[in-house]
This record gives sequence, structure tokens and C-alpha cells, in this order.
Amino acid sequence: MTSRQITGRVAFLAVVAAFVVSLYRLELLDPSVVWPALQRLGEFVTELFPPNWDVTRTLLGAMGETLQIAFAGTLLGFLFSLPLAILATRTLFGGTVTTAARLVMGAVRTVPSLLWGVIFVIGFGLGPAAGALGVALYTVGYMGKLLYEAFEAADAEVVEAVRSVSANRLQLFAFAVLPESANALISQLLFMFEYNIRASSIMGFVGAGGIGYYMLGYIQLLQYENLMTALIITFVVVMAIDYLSVRLRSLILSPSPASAPSPFAGLVPSVG
Amino acid sequence: MMRDAAMPDVKTAAPPYLIAALAPAGQPAANGREPALVARDLWFSYDGRAHAVRGVDLAVPHGAMTMVLGRSGSGKTTLLKTLHGLLHPQRGSVTVGANGGGLRHRIAYVPQTLGLVRNTSALENALTGALARVGTVRSLLRLFPKSTVEQAKGTLASLGLGDKLNKQVYALSGGERQRVAIARALMQEPSVILADEFVSQLDPVTAEEILDMMRRIAADGVSFLITTHETDIVAKYADQVIVMREGAIVHDSRAAALTEAEMVDLLR
Repeated sequence: MTSRQITGRVAFLAVVAAFVVSLYRLELLDPSVVWPALQRLGEFVTELFPPNWDVTRTLLGAMGETLQIAFAGTLLGFLFSLPLAILATRTLFGGTVTTAARLVMGAVRTVPSLLWGVIFVIGFGLGPAAGALGVALYTVGYMGKLLYEAFEAADAEVVEAVRSVSANRLQLFAFAVLPESANALISQLLFMFEYNIRASSIMGFVGAGGIGYYMLGYIQLLQYENLMTALIITFVVVMAIDYLSVRLRSLILSPSPASAPSPFAGLVPSVG
Repeated sequence: MMRDAAMPDVKTAAPPYLIAALAPAGQPAANGREPALVARDLWFSYDGRAHAVRGVDLAVPHGAMTMVLGRSGSGKTTLLKTLHGLLHPQRGSVTVGANGGGLRHRIAYVPQTLGLVRNTSALENALTGALARVGTVRSLLRLFPKSTVEQAKGTLASLGLGDKLNKQVYALSGGERQRVAIARALMQEPSVILADEFVSQLDPVTAEEILDMMRRIAADGVSFLITTHETDIVAKYADQVIVMREGAIVHDSRAAALTEAEMVDLLR
């Protein structure tokens, strides 16, 4: 057996051991804990049925609010993440600027969106505004990282060619980095929107609006058949958005990044 | 790339042409024309130890096609980038035209893969060449001066792309992309165009068309410094030939003074 094989086996055994220890410490290997819990979950699942469709109208309104939180939060977050991502791009700025921008985004990303929701509820009070701002702030940290990674992946020869015409940093971004990474940018914006719909659907747990507010209420009042309706509506909407997102991607983006028409064509006055 | 214990160990023999062009810098060369670009004792290393460019002295004659012939890894691309300023030499100087510094933007550089933005139009790519003289805000809003847009259209038309101004680059053929890259370079209103392995990816007929076009541009006063590893192209199109080996210039003369067989010998 080679030393590489020995190392591989030791690593595998270490992972298995860590897994078993974790399960033990979490009491997930104790039948006296697990079995009653599974029984209670079984009872909970039976109480979810049949769903109560009488609350559909109310929940659809709340779901609309959730979508607004996700939409406004994603776009707000995108607008603030864009300049930060530009500053964090090493092909455009030096080490001090990029490190500072990355630190800001890293710090913002450390706080989960739900906690940002709590913080904004303190400032803005209960309601969807706090939810949208919570989602926006989390988006800044997350989207900013995705963006600067996409910007840095822009074709180095294109960036070098535009740099060689003595373009300044903003021109370099607008005429080389942005068009080269436009596909990735659109793709990540859609991904972030999908992600934020899921995040927004539980913003109501902390009073920050949307369908999560009703879900929490139904759990606290033991109205599980209403909760089931909320879960079905959330599931259907999330699946529909996922589908639309895939369709939108295939409409906007071509298969090869190298041969994609610019999604930004037409957003600025055309020359000529 | 050759490892050097100390930089100044390697000396390249300066040919008579070069001495005439360099003494003193910026003064007319033996042919009576000022060199468009002069490099003196240029050294560049990526890692501080092995030098990709070693003590290069060269002068690019005005309005001529100078070709740098060398095998893969001989330092041709690094030399072009160092001459342009995309890479900063550890030692040596580059002088553009008779007046020296401050004219760096008048050196155009075309990378081997052309560096065109493939999902924008031929016209937009050509206009990129004018960025240095268009204000930042105007350029970001794509509000280029009308005269600049007309200049770009005219340049593309003169290169045979008048009917493809608004075609996306990804939809153009290899030869047409080459022309767009030349148009972008010409929009810099350059005195020198540095082109890296410019026609190596084209079929022979298209390559000849492009090189004929470059000769016409050179005749209008724009100097070319083109890297290549193809001796037949040098024999047919170069006015001046510089042979590079392991980062150093081992030969510099009028192209007519060398046969293709001699060029191959120099490459070995």
C-alpha cells in the first residue's frame, strides 16, 4: 500500500469517526430521543392535511409581498454591490483598495439575512420594508463576491488590449470587464433573486413581512392545515420562479460566453 | 528563457542600422528618417531571476514593417509588452518618436488573440481605440463625438468592413476580426503598432490580404513591429528583420539582406 493510499484511508476513517461522534453528541444515536421525535413529527404531518384553502386569498397577498421583498431587496443589493465589486476587482484596483472592499463585503456577508431583518425591524418597525432592506444588505455581501469573481474572470487579453489604449479604470471596466462578464452577471443576478425568494419567505418570522409572518402565526396557533396551504403556495411559487428563471437565462444568455450577444446592448445609447 | 547570474553579462551586438538610429537618441537614422520608437538596453524578468528580455536595443524605422522573428518562448511577446509599457522593464528605456516621453498612448498594441470584445459590434470595438481622447463620462454613456464616430466608420470602411459596422465581433470571420483589431489600433492615431503573431492563425490567402493592407498603412507613415515565427512572411513582407533568441536580439538588419535559409539558421 502506498503512502498516498494510507493517507486516503486514514482521512476516510477520520471523517467517518467525526461523523459518528457528531451524531452521538447531538443525541441522534439515542433511540429514546429519536423515536418519540419521529412519532411527534408523524402526528404533525398528519395534522397538515387536508390543507385549508379558505386562507388562500390572504396567503397569495402575503406571497406577493414576499416577492416584492425579494425583488426590491435583490435589486437594491445589486446596486450597492456593483461599486463595491468593482473596487474589489484586482484587475482594476490595487491591493489596498481591493482588500478594503472585500473586507466590507465579507463583514456584511457574515450576518445572515434573517439577522439583518431583525436589525432593520428595530429601525423601521414591523413590516416588509425591514425585510427588503435585510435581504438587500445580505445581497450586497453575497452578490458582491460573485460579481468580483466574475469580473476577474474576464478574458485577460481583452482587458490588456483595452488597457493598452490608455483607458482609465472606469473605461476599462465599461469597455472590457463588463461586456466580458455580462453573461455571468445576469446569471448570478437571477440566481440571487431565486435565493432571495426563499430567504424572504421566512423574513416574516422576525416580523419583517411576507408569507413567513403567517407561517409563524399558524405554527404558534397550531393551525397546521393553514400552514400546509402556505407551504404549498410557497413551493408552487418558488418552482414557478425557478422555471421562469431558467427560461429567462436561456433567452438572454447564449450557450457559449464567448459568443453571447451583450445583454447590455440597448441599455446605453448606441453609437453610429 | 535563460537564467542570468547578473543582468549585464549578456551583450547583444548592435547592428550598424541600430547604432545609426541610436546615436544620439531621436536623431535621424542613416536612411534620413527618425525612428518611430527606440529601445535602449531593455531588461525584463517576470520573477526577478530569469530574464525574458535581455539587454535589447532596437529602433523601429518610421513607416516600415519591422518583424521580430523568433521561436516560441524566445521573448517576442514579452518584448512587445515591455515596449508598450504593459510590462515595466527592470532596466532600460523606450522612447517614442523624436520627443520622447508622454506619447505612450501613440503606441498601439494588438495581442495574439486580438483582445476584441466579442459581444459588441465592430464599430464599438474600433471606438475603444479612441478612449484616451474622449472624456470618461462621454465614453461611459457611449456619447462619442460625431467626428470620432465618423473616423471609426471611415477607418472600418477603408479596411473593407463598411457594411459590417454593427455586426457583433463573434459573427465576423477571422480575417474580418483581424481588420477590426487594426481599426481599433488606428483609432489610437498611433505612430507605431505592435502586433503579436498577428496573422499566424489565418489561412495563407487571408494572411496575405491582411499583410498587404498593413503595408499600405505603413506607407502612410504608421510603423509596424510584428512578431512572427514564419520566415516566409518575413522574407515577403518585412522591411527590417530582428531575430530574437532566449530574450536577446541576435540579428538586426534589412530583411532583404537575409535569405529564408539564413533566417532559419539564426533561429537555431
